[in-house]
Amino acid sequence: MSCPRHEDVSAYMDDMMAPAERPHFALHLKECAACRERLDVLEALRDDLQAMPSPVLGYDLAAQFDERLRTRGARRMPARTSWFGWGAGGLAVAFSLTVGVWLGGVLAGAAVVAPPVGVARVFDPVPPGGLCAAPELCRLSRGMQ
Amino acid sequence: MRPFADIDDQQCVMRARQGEGRAFSELVARYQDRVYRFLLRLTRSRDDAMDLTQDTFMRAYQSLDRWQPDALFRTWLFRIARNGAIDRFRRDKVVEFVDLDEDADVPDHAAGPEAVLETAQRLRILEEALERLPAEYREIILLREIEGMSYDELAQVLGLQAGTVKSRLSRARAALLDMVQRRLEITS
Repeated sequence: MSCPRHEDVSAYMDDMMAPAERPHFALHLKECAACRERLDVLEALRDDLQAMPSPVLGYDLAAQFDERLRTRGARRMPARTSWFGWGAGGLAVAFSLTVGVWLGGVLAGAAVVAPPVGVARVFDPVPPGGLCAAPELCRLSRGMQ
Repeated sequence: MRPFADIDDQQCVMRARQGEGRAFSELVARYQDRVYRFLLRLTRSRDDAMDLTQDTFMRAYQSLDRWQPDALFRTWLFRIARNGAIDRFRRDKVVEFVDLDEDADVPDHAAGPEAVLETAQRLRILEEALERLPAEYREIILLREIEGMSYDELAQVLGLQAGTVKSRLSRARAALLDMVQRRLEITS
């Protein structure tokens, strides 16, 4: 036996129906045997779940915590939201990172500067005085073609 | 002797935040078995549950500064426990947490089998059925029926909307009833 309002039985049992809705559903329950039976079954299920054996941890974790907190002084992580929250150490790290990034940028910038023409010429495919087969091979500017 | 036994959870947290370690130990004493019980039934492994229980309290202690006084300590604690279990499930690929289709049909067995069986056998079958439920259904039933959480607390622990709590709980109960029915058919 089923009823389209079966889903509402669960919330009714938990007393979690909207206040305006609850009296209407209570009236429905009086007329609907399927929902009444459903309510009985859900209540029995709840009782059985609560009657299940309750396993325990089996040792005193609180005492272990207590001991650990007293002897080792386990430290809590403070809520830090910025570099400034980390104090002098944080500022030093932030400064180091900033300098590192700046230096890296300077050095990287220097690395991509084109080498002097005289150096590049050592690797030219055409020996000095030779004929150039194609402009792109000889690094000739358009004005020299 | 428990010097903080008469102080409520919120006050214990405040005192622990001020550096009184025994106030936090009092919270461990209050909740260690409840957290373990929840994790044992959620993970279905005694070793995992013990390990995760310790981990839950350690994480809670280390994060005390993030606890908001307007939240119940137990809600916050169970959320840490639940998230720890999910992380482990995902890491070990033991249980797959999937997004449930909240509109999916769940078989509807209105006729309860409980009148037929003796209590012990009934509870054993119920425990087996609970183990076989999808983890998303299992956790909401454990938190509601055994830990007695309100719908608001369920929403906070599970990260759900209030409306979803209502429908998921209804479907979880229906699925559990269906599972019990099937176990009964197998045993009879």
